Amino acid sequence: MYAAAGTANDPFPVVGLIGAGAISRVHAPAWKALGARVLVYSERGAAELAARYDLEVVTTLDALLREVDFVDIVTPTTTHRDFALAAITARKHVVCEKPLAMTPADSGEIAAAAAKAGVQVYPAHVVRFTAPYATAHQAVADGRIGEVAVARFHRGGSSPAIGTWFQDDAASGGIIMDLMIHDLDQARWICGDVETVYAVQNPPTVDNVVPSFVSAHVTLTHAGGAISHVRATWGAVGTPFTTGFSIAGSVGVLNYSSSANSGLTLDLQQVSPDLVIPASPLRESPYLTEIREFAAAFAGGAEPRVSAADGVTAVELAQAARMSLATASVIVMSEFAASTEAAA
Amino acid sequence: MNTTSTVKVAIVSFAHSHALSYAYTLAAMPGVEVLAADPDGASAPDLSPRGAELAARIGIDYVDDYDALFAWQPDAVIVASENSRHRELVERAATAGVHVLCEKPLATTVADGRAMVDACARAGVILMLAYPVRFSPSFRALQGLVADDRLGDLFAINGTNNGKLPIDSRRWFADAELAGGGAIVDHVVHCADLIDAITGGSRADSVYAVSNRILHADKDIDVETGGLVTVTYPGGLIATIDCSWSQPDAAATWGGLSLQVTGTGGSALIEPFAEHVAGTGSDGPIHLGYGTNLDELLLTEFIAAVRQSGSPRPGSSPRVVPQPDGSVGLRTLEIMDAARRSAAEGRPVTIAAG
Repeated sequence: MYAAAGTANDPFPVVGLIGAGAISRVHAPAWKALGARVLVYSERGAAELAARYDLEVVTTLDALLREVDFVDIVTPTTTHRDFALAAITARKHVVCEKPLAMTPADSGEIAAAAAKAGVQVYPAHVVRFTAPYATAHQAVADGRIGEVAVARFHRGGSSPAIGTWFQDDAASGGIIMDLMIHDLDQARWICGDVETVYAVQNPPTVDNVVPSFVSAHVTLTHAGGAISHVRATWGAVGTPFTTGFSIAGSVGVLNYSSSANSGLTLDLQQVSPDLVIPASPLRESPYLTEIREFAAAFAGGAEPRVSAADGVTAVELAQAARMSLATASVIVMSEFAASTEAAA
Repeated sequence: MNTTSTVKVAIVSFAHSHALSYAYTLAAMPGVEVLAADPDGASAPDLSPRGAELAARIGIDYVDDYDALFAWQPDAVIVASENSRHRELVERAATAGVHVLCEKPLATTVADGRAMVDACARAGVILMLAYPVRFSPSFRALQGLVADDRLGDLFAINGTNNGKLPIDSRRWFADAELAGGGAIVDHVVHCADLIDAITGGSRADSVYAVSNRILHADKDIDVETGGLVTVTYPGGLIATIDCSWSQPDAAATWGGLSLQVTGTGGSALIEPFAEHVAGTGSDGPIHLGYGTNLDELLLTEFIAAVRQSGSPRPGSSPRVVPQPDGSVGLRTLEIMDAARRSAAEGRPVTIAAG
C-alpha cells in the first residue's frame, strides 16, 4: 500500500530513477517539483545528474529497488525490458520512457508481468500531456469536427542522429521507433484503432545504419474508416524542431503548428545551444503534468490518460511500420499482432 | 504568324469552372480574339449559368456548337470540358491543326492520355496542360533554391491540396464517369506536376493510396472525398499528397495548396495561395487574397508559344513547346491512375515501364 502523494502526514514516496541520459533531465526535475525524494542509478552520468537536481546516487540496482516506492526507467530502449521486469518483480510501480520496449513481445511481457504482480506500468508518451494535442483529442471526443475523416501528423527538426546511438538501428529502432512513435500513438488516440499500416522511408536504413538525414511517411487506416498520415523527419542541421497536425472531420477541421502557435516569439542575438527536448516557457512542462498524473495513479487515484496497453500498441504500430518498410507491403494489424504473439 | 499578330482562341466548354477565369483573362489580353461554345451546358444539372448566358455575362462571343466553333478556324483551343470528354475534343483539335491547352487532368484513363499525346504529336500541334501553380512566384523561388543546391539532396516531399467540395457550381466533379473519380482525380495532379518540375520529369516508381467518403457523406456522392497518396520516385525520393476535399463549406476561402520540400541542406515550404489579408465581417471570416493571377501567367505562356509556333506542321514538333506539356500531363495522369487503383486494391501499385 502506498500513501497518498505529498501530504504533510504522508511524505511523497521515494522514486528510483534508472538512467541519466537526456530525457532524465526532464523527468528528474518533474519528480523534484512534486516533492519526491529521488535516487538515481545509472552506468554513467549519475553523479552529475544528482548534483544538478539534488538527487541521491545509488551504485546498484538492488540498492535502488530496496529503497524506493516507484521506479522511473529512462535508459536506452533495449534495456527497458530487463529493468522493468526487475522492478515489477520487486513489486514497484513503473514509469517507463517510450518506447515501452523494442519489440511487441518484450513490451507485452512487461504489461503481462505487471498485471500478474498487481503493479502499475505507464509508458511516458508525453505528447498526450501536451496542451495542443490534449486539446485536439478532447475536441474530437466532444464531436466538434464530427467523424474524423483524414488526419495528418508531423514531427521533426535538426537531426539528433549524426554520430550517435540513434543511427544504430538495433539500439534505437530508427526514426520510426524513436521519433514517429509519438505520432503513431497520437493518430491512434485521436483517429481510433489502426487496421492497416504502410510505410516508406528515404534514404533507407542499410546495414543497421539509420541515415543522418531521413524522413519516414506512414499511412494508417483506422477502424472507424478514418485515414491518417504520419511523417517524421531528421532534417538539416539547424532546422527548428516543429510538430503539427491537421484533422479533418465530417463537419470541421482542426489545425495546429508549433511554429505558428507559440504565443512567444524571440529574436535573440545569442543562439542558445541545441535544445534536444523542446520546451514552452509559457506553461508547465508536459513531463511534470505526465508524472503528476502517473504518481496520482500510483497513489490510488484515477487511471492516467495512457496505459501499458497503449504503450504495447504503440510499439506494435512502430514495428508494423518497420515491417512494411522491409517488405514494401501493407501490414494488416490483426494479422501482425497475432504473428508477434505467436513469436512470443 | 509574327509576335504581334492576333490569335484566335476557342474556349471549348464551360464545364470546368476554370473556363470562366480563362475567358475573363483572355478577353482582357491585347491581340486575342475569343469565341466559346458550351453545347453540353444546357443539360448539366447545375444551378449556375452555362452556355450563351454565361458567355454574355463574361462578355465574350458565343456559338451554339463545336462545328461552328471549329468553322471559325481558331489558332488555339482551350479544352475545359468534363474530364472524360477531353480526349474526343483534343483529338478533334489536333485533326483540325489547332494548338491545345487542356484542362487538368489530361484524361480519365492512361490509354486516353497516350492517344491524345500521340494525336497532337502527329498533327504537330502544341499540347499544354493547365497546371497554373507551377507559374506561381513561390514555386519559381523554390525551383531557384533547388537549382542553386540550397536544399542539398532532396529526400522527402509533403504536398497538400485541400479544397471545398466543388459540386456547388459543377455537379460533374463528383460524377465517377465524367470526372473519372473524386478527390484523387481532382487534387493529386497539381502537386504531382510541381514534383515533376522539381525532379526534371521523373516518372514515379510506385504509388500507395488510401481513400474514404466520410467528408460530405451527407451529400449523396459516389466518389472518394478524402485521400492520402504516397509516391516513390527513382533514387528513393518519397512524396505524400493529401488530396482531400477537406476544406469545410463554412471556410472563408476555397482551400489551398502547400508543398514542403526537404533535403540534406534544408527544407522549404511554399503556399502559393497563402497571400491574403484576413479579418472578420458581419457574416463571418473575411479572406482577401492578393496573390498573383496564375491563370494569366499560364495563358501568357500558352499564347506566346502559339504565336511563335505559327501554323502546325504535321509530323514535326511545334517551334515552341510550352511547359507543362503533354508528357507532363501523361506522367501526372499515371500517378493519379495508380493512386485510384491502389486505393481500390489496398496495396501499392507499380507504374509499369514502357
